[in-house]
Amino acid sequence: MINEKADKRSRKFREIDQFDLNEQPQYYLLPFRFHRITDDKEIIVNEVGDYLLLSNGTFERIVKRQLDKKKDADLYGDLIANFFISEEPIPPLIDVLATRYRTKKLFLNYFTGLHIFVISLRCEHTCHYCQVSRVTQNKDLYDMSIANIDKGIDIMFKSPNPHVTMEFQGGESLLAFDNIKYAVEKAERIAKEVGKGLTKVICSNLALINEEILEYCKEHEILISTSLDGPQYVHDNNRHKPHASSYELAIKGIELSRKVLGHDRVSALMTTTKLSLDYPVEIVDEYFRLGFQGIFLRNISPYGFALRTDKSKYETEKFLTFYKKALDRILEYNFSGHYFTEDLAKIFLTKILTPFNVGFVDLQSPAGLINGVIVFNYDGGVYATDESRMLAEQKDYTFKLGTLDDNYNDLFFGKKAQEIANVWANEALSGCSECAFQQYCGADPVHNHATQGDMYGYRPNSDFCQKNMEIIRYLIELMESDSRIKKIFERWAKTSTH
Amino acid sequence: MQYKNEIKNDEIIVFADTSLYSKDSIFKCLYWYGDKYHTNVSFADNNTYRVSVKPLSTNQLSQEEQQYLLLKLERDLVDYNLRDIVTKETQNVRDLLIAKAFSNGEFDELPPGDVSDPLGFNINQLKND
Repeated sequence: MINEKADKRSRKFREIDQFDLNEQPQYYLLPFRFHRITDDKEIIVNEVGDYLLLSNGTFERIVKRQLDKKKDADLYGDLIANFFISEEPIPPLIDVLATRYRTKKLFLNYFTGLHIFVISLRCEHTCHYCQVSRVTQNKDLYDMSIANIDKGIDIMFKSPNPHVTMEFQGGESLLAFDNIKYAVEKAERIAKEVGKGLTKVICSNLALINEEILEYCKEHEILISTSLDGPQYVHDNNRHKPHASSYELAIKGIELSRKVLGHDRVSALMTTTKLSLDYPVEIVDEYFRLGFQGIFLRNISPYGFALRTDKSKYETEKFLTFYKKALDRILEYNFSGHYFTEDLAKIFLTKILTPFNVGFVDLQSPAGLINGVIVFNYDGGVYATDESRMLAEQKDYTFKLGTLDDNYNDLFFGKKAQEIANVWANEALSGCSECAFQQYCGADPVHNHATQGDMYGYRPNSDFCQKNMEIIRYLIELMESDSRIKKIFERWAKTSTH
Repeated sequence: MQYKNEIKNDEIIVFADTSLYSKDSIFKCLYWYGDKYHTNVSFADNNTYRVSVKPLSTNQLSQEEQQYLLLKLERDLVDYNLRDIVTKETQNVRDLLIAKAFSNGEFDELPPGDVSDPLGFNINQLKND
């Protein structure tokens, strides 16, 4: 028979009471926030995004010091271990918590990475919701000039970020492919000289793609990002191309690009329109059928033509119903053994389940505009985000930081940037400052301005707030109610941090 | 004086003891009602807030909805008061945490207590060997 005492002594940990230094505890609260998640569950989230799901009334008991260290031993232990309460006024491991906080805000370390070059405003599509003007003629007027490309590259390499990304957008960027080639080659030369990493991306509807262009992309390691809104009847209805099927051209382009560049060098983004809302399952199936590893269920942006077109008006509620149906379908694929993600969920889950954050422009605090992304417009205007330049197409220059002729400091730290900075942290916004999901969400002054008329925004009727709150709540509800879903979500979050 | 929460002429009225509820929590709570309701805060007497919400003319409520709204407002006031307690009690720790997070380790301290090993090895001795 094994001597119990001797056996315990051989274990690597001391008895539990050895760690319990305060018999009669007076505990102190640490910063955390609270939200009712379902009728019988509430959630508390601490300053670094760790959460505990509790039964109703627990938050009140914690705050009113009604916890019993012995009777509520498990809860009490969880609250101590996860930095919700402390038995000392300042927790002994506050430096650990501070390091975790710093990790959550790591995206601030490097400053602007993504530099969008609107290489041409010309486009051969006539999409009804298109966010920019459609101009098919005048090359000189609507293509970025070589002089402006040079200035943009110069500014890009002034970023303190050791790795910069140059992304070519349009209009249809491939209409100005010669200028793209010039920009790529010049940027590559400078990147080599100054020792910075450089990623190049072409955003295109792929109608004009051919082997010659793709061979060039292969040689220069250029990634392709395209648009695919779902099956043909959805895509072609959203993206009108005179005398041709935009869908067929996109599919052909994706296949050819994958053949030349490799499967994982081509990504696709979808835009949700009023029509898309009726086809959540079909859209997911289309992405799965085409061999993508996931889909980003984006709602239509409230910019450009979209704001003025009745065809694209729909309520956030309808989008959320669409989103949940699509997510159910995605989970079905995962239940049957496939790895297939929803990328908005993946962003939230990375923030919820891992110590890390995601550098996603719309869901950062401080916001990703200027800190993470900058846009050089075809005419030399410099804008805070892609959406900002779309507002400019409607003569709204609120987020114009200056022009490519201005110096770096004036653009990135000037008066306009400072004005935006006043409202770019959700920690300091009404409605957000007490929100339990603050760490998972972000601030979007451009969206607030476009939809509500001021950068600060008004949360009670903000579609940004309504959408994000409900999706985060729903994701937590799903994973807490089904352990299979939790495992799937953990896998999604894990893969996004590698 | 005792006040009773009530629904009167489409107005939902809730009373809150000033010694229990903070002004901040009441305004933070009412912020979320502003898109659909007229909101008002006043003193019923020196020790009591009178908090009221009244639907905008475009948002008429049934009796059942009014009862639900009364319950919701009562509950939200409690929730926001509790949130306010946490925010105020933890303000200093939060400031310290963020200052430390962005100090690049300049103010890091070793955790208190001795470093020891449950198996009985003398860690300092091992370090010197």
